[in-house]
Amino acid sequence: MIELKIDNRTVEANEGETVLQAALRHGIEIPHFCYHPCLSIAGNCRICLVKVTGRPKLMPSCNLAVTPGMEIETDSDDVIAARQAVMQFITLNHPGECGICDKAGECRLQDYHVRYGEPESISLEPKNKKPKFYDISPRILLDSERCILCSRCVRFTKEVSGSHQLGIVERGNHSRLERLESQPMDDPYSDNIIGLCPVGALLSRDFLYQSRVWYLEPIRSVCTGCSRCCSVKVWRRNRHWHLRSLGEEMNRKVYRVTPQENREINGPWICNKGFDLHKFMGRKRLLQPMIGGSVATVDEALSEAKKLLAAAKSPAALVSAHASNEELAAFKETLGSRMTVYSREDYKAEEGEVVEDNILIRENKNPNSHGVHAMFGDLPWSVDSGHDLVLVWGDNVDYTPMGNAKVIHLASFEMPQERHADVLIPISTTFERSGSFTNFEGKVNRFTKVFDKPGLVQQAGDVFGRLGA
Amino acid sequence: MKKDYWNKPEMGLWERLYIFEVVRGLCITGGVFFGNMWKWLTFRKGALTAYYPEEIRSDYSPNNRGRHVLTRRENGEVQCVSCNMCATVCPAYAIEILSTANFDDHFHPKAPERFEIDYSRCIFCGFCVEACPEDAIRMVKEVPDFPTYDRNNLWATQDLLMNWRPTCNPAKIYPAAQKALEEVHP
Repeated sequence: MIELKIDNRTVEANEGETVLQAALRHGIEIPHFCYHPCLSIAGNCRICLVKVTGRPKLMPSCNLAVTPGMEIETDSDDVIAARQAVMQFITLNHPGECGICDKAGECRLQDYHVRYGEPESISLEPKNKKPKFYDISPRILLDSERCILCSRCVRFTKEVSGSHQLGIVERGNHSRLERLESQPMDDPYSDNIIGLCPVGALLSRDFLYQSRVWYLEPIRSVCTGCSRCCSVKVWRRNRHWHLRSLGEEMNRKVYRVTPQENREINGPWICNKGFDLHKFMGRKRLLQPMIGGSVATVDEALSEAKKLLAAAKSPAALVSAHASNEELAAFKETLGSRMTVYSREDYKAEEGEVVEDNILIRENKNPNSHGVHAMFGDLPWSVDSGHDLVLVWGDNVDYTPMGNAKVIHLASFEMPQERHADVLIPISTTFERSGSFTNFEGKVNRFTKVFDKPGLVQQAGDVFGRLGA
Repeated sequence: MKKDYWNKPEMGLWERLYIFEVVRGLCITGGVFFGNMWKWLTFRKGALTAYYPEEIRSDYSPNNRGRHVLTRRENGEVQCVSCNMCATVCPAYAIEILSTANFDDHFHPKAPERFEIDYSRCIFCGFCVEACPEDAIRMVKEVPDFPTYDRNNLWATQDLLMNWRPTCNPAKIYPAAQKALEEVHP
């Protein structure tokens, strides 16, 4: 432990920490652009300058190791003056188009400009023009005019994702971010740099101009893309900003998915598949209960399923790896003792997808396989086990291997089938229920309901309760 | 005597006789009616009745906050850059904007695809005009065509809002289109 004074407050810092880290940890705010807790220290933005008693010049606090008895001032007049000067430098060629910038509202540059910037540009020279809306990858647009060259994105590809696909080229005023020319940018973690960018230079093509960020609110959820179960923020429209004329369906739409920091599971990152979680959830849904391919009410479908269950001699259940722990417990409680339980993997790695790496992505593309195996074992389904009824729970199911057995199917998404299930009950997606998944390491991650489920869609737990009663 | 209610009238004999008071009342309303009729027939000002909604009033103050208009650039395109400042500042949540991207126009990559104002909610405070950084929305003195049988008709769409040709150019003139890129990526 090292004791130092920041703004006349005695602060305890760890060995090897920097002044900025110690200050942030104790709730003292020092502005910073290029510093990020998970990246190396670049010290190039110079907005974090602080005054160290006994030293003639201001020091960048992100690159200043704590020493015992150090005295730091973070808001003296000369520090504020230095910050104002740095802001003038940084915004010298910044286009100042916050009105049409998607980052506005969560932009560091905007926040600091309100505090330290001039209301009008005092530069006499015209602003430097640089390329706008340059495709840095099919997913990301680069606006070089807005870039402040903090190099966070470059350090991210070097240190976290390891793809080394970005770099800063040219010198001085002409410096700009550039991708590797020899290959398209295919970093599976590339979308993290959009959130990492302290200004609006890197823009998500998917979220571009969809909504201003202050209309949205994040809900904590869990990515279902693989068995890592990363924490994500799912951004839905804030209740106060619900739309009426532009369409009610816009209020039930996920605008974007961003990582939620979770030190135990994913840190501050998720992979591109996680950023696309809302597209995965936005596929065509099953919304209507069916009996043998014809439309039925929920009660009819449930009583038919109950009849089939009562008539079956040796029923089997295929349990989804997308089910939450709570639903699995409900299933075990109600039907588990009556049926032979098999586990199934809903999704396999698709072609072109990264199967597994040593950062986040796991080979098993289902979130709760660990939970299913812990509760029911991992008996795989085989065709010739002679069951006359199969309760299939989960998506991406082909009925052909079920043979002549009757099929009760609980699913969320549509899938083309050769034959109809005897009873089909639509169930909610992860966005429409609360619960928890157990990831491959056995860590439980909880998710919260983002939207209400559509009217005829059922919660799987309720269905089991009614079937078992 | 205790009154039944606080402003119960105390009528004299003349009022209690009823018929004379009725005639007096008819004289008042009839006088106003024929006076109005005479003014209207002779095209004089000061008639108390107006033919709502057919009549377009001519005596709005020049700075009356009436219906909204979206100003246009010289090439006829909407000046709005879809920054949503008006929608954000609107205390009645009456404005909804759907944005679209156009990367070919370097000065205006963002533009409204749909810009709609709910006149069933609008309180005509003029905050949207104040908030607009581009002088893209203004209020003219004429009021919008309100009466309708369906409240969904009270949404003013972008076509309607742009249906305004000013006699002079809007205050903010954009730079003429020039080559926006100094250096181009390979």
